[in-house]
Amino acid sequence: MDMGIGLWCLQSTTTSPRSFEQAYRELIDDARLAESNGIHSLWLSEHHAYYDGYCPALLPAASAALAATNRLQIGTGVLLLPLHEADRIANAANLLDAQSQGRFHLGVGMGYRPIEFAIKDRNINERLRLMNSGLDVLQTEINTPTWVGVSSEKAAQRAGRRGLGLFISGAFSRDVVNSLIAAHRMAWEHSDFAGEVPPPVGLLRNLWIVDTEAERRQALEWVRSSYLVYAGLGWGVDNTGVDFVGEIEASMDEVERSATVGSAEEIAEELDGYDVDLVVCRIGYDQPPRTALTEVIERIGRELVPLAKELGGQR
Amino acid sequence: MRLLLDLREVANHAELRRLASEADDHGIWGIVVTAAPGAECTEAAAIAATTNNVSILIDIDGDAAHPTTLAEEIAVVDQISHRRTMALLRGLATHRSKVAALLSGLPVDGLILAPPPAQASIPVYAPEDIPAVSLVDGSKGNAVIVDQHRDSNTPFLIISWTGPIKGLARHLVGRASSIDFPQMIADLADQIDPIE
Repeated sequence: MDMGIGLWCLQSTTTSPRSFEQAYRELIDDARLAESNGIHSLWLSEHHAYYDGYCPALLPAASAALAATNRLQIGTGVLLLPLHEADRIANAANLLDAQSQGRFHLGVGMGYRPIEFAIKDRNINERLRLMNSGLDVLQTEINTPTWVGVSSEKAAQRAGRRGLGLFISGAFSRDVVNSLIAAHRMAWEHSDFAGEVPPPVGLLRNLWIVDTEAERRQALEWVRSSYLVYAGLGWGVDNTGVDFVGEIEASMDEVERSATVGSAEEIAEELDGYDVDLVVCRIGYDQPPRTALTEVIERIGRELVPLAKELGGQR
Repeated sequence: MRLLLDLREVANHAELRRLASEADDHGIWGIVVTAAPGAECTEAAAIAATTNNVSILIDIDGDAAHPTTLAEEIAVVDQISHRRTMALLRGLATHRSKVAALLSGLPVDGLILAPPPAQASIPVYAPEDIPAVSLVDGSKGNAVIVDQHRDSNTPFLIISWTGPIKGLARHLVGRASSIDFPQMIADLADQIDPIE
């Protein structure tokens, strides 16, 4: 099992205001730190026209991180494909693939904020059609590993039918995660892409390595508060019972229950229950001090990566 | 007048990075880069991350994407480059004016760019705004061409140059930025420190 870290959103939030130049400089610093600690990948996330500057252009950001590193893989988790021109994305993905000797992963999703479609003169009601036509272009024009971000079984099935990787959001219960993986696998098995090796599955997990109960409580507070961003963005996920708009406290509780916080051994034991190829540790919260973020990156590399490799060996 | 080294024809990524880095080291004011539509800012961002001083003029197909998308990509490169980004936008003038307004922090159709550019305003040009010339290393005509453009009050000159970048820096950067460039000093430098 590979271990990545995410999601780098390059924000300046109300809880942790900072200069954007600093945010982009820290992306480079964090990518180098992750690489030096043996972490598999770093993943970026996209939104548009949000007050906190949430990164709207992932491929230039990915390019900078790839240029500053030699082994670390960089992924988009996820790029909102219906908001872009797919042929342009294909050109940029091919450039990144060539520049980095195959270290770039393109994760794509549909998007859900009406304003993001409005500012690009697109109809949000056509997002599925735009997503499918975009994927048609990408599957024809790129060789980059491609993942589809999903939050429903239907979406997982669509990814499976195309033989594309699955990138599962971070706040889901184990049951929901397993149902998404099963739907993806079954659709792939009945598709024209079926073969010996199924497309990869990546799992985003709210995760933090701690030693004490006080640290555990602190980490869970960071996880909870980080979802205020999504409440502001208006994220409501179907099929999961998580609705950050209508039931914010209940949603926070759900997020907290799904978070994986503990010692590296406890986390590895928890992750062992998932049939996935990649776990992206969601540690890019806006509240932890910089020292805490760099420490957890080092601990993931030093303590969790070796354990996860053993999990992979067992599998 | 400031010189912009034209790297748009360099297809090999490693060579492009090497030349950009050399321009950065030798005090060339700016470079011009491009790529296939949609990849222009991705290419520029890699160079921005591996250089410190040189300005980056990104030659972009302005008709291939929504103006907001273009402005977002350019603004992100400006953050990565720490205020060293400029844009050369091909295509519709209406797109260019929208992108320029967004990159100046102004609202367009009810939208203000997020994140904003790092600079107060990112310069946006049309191709015809910046003259371009092709110069040959060692040619006596180089000085005349650069003098002519400098004296016509153009702020920038794009130069295609296949010689050593240090030679461009030694003989033409100072000439472009000064009305009384002492050529004999550059010639003397060639004797003291010949450029391979």
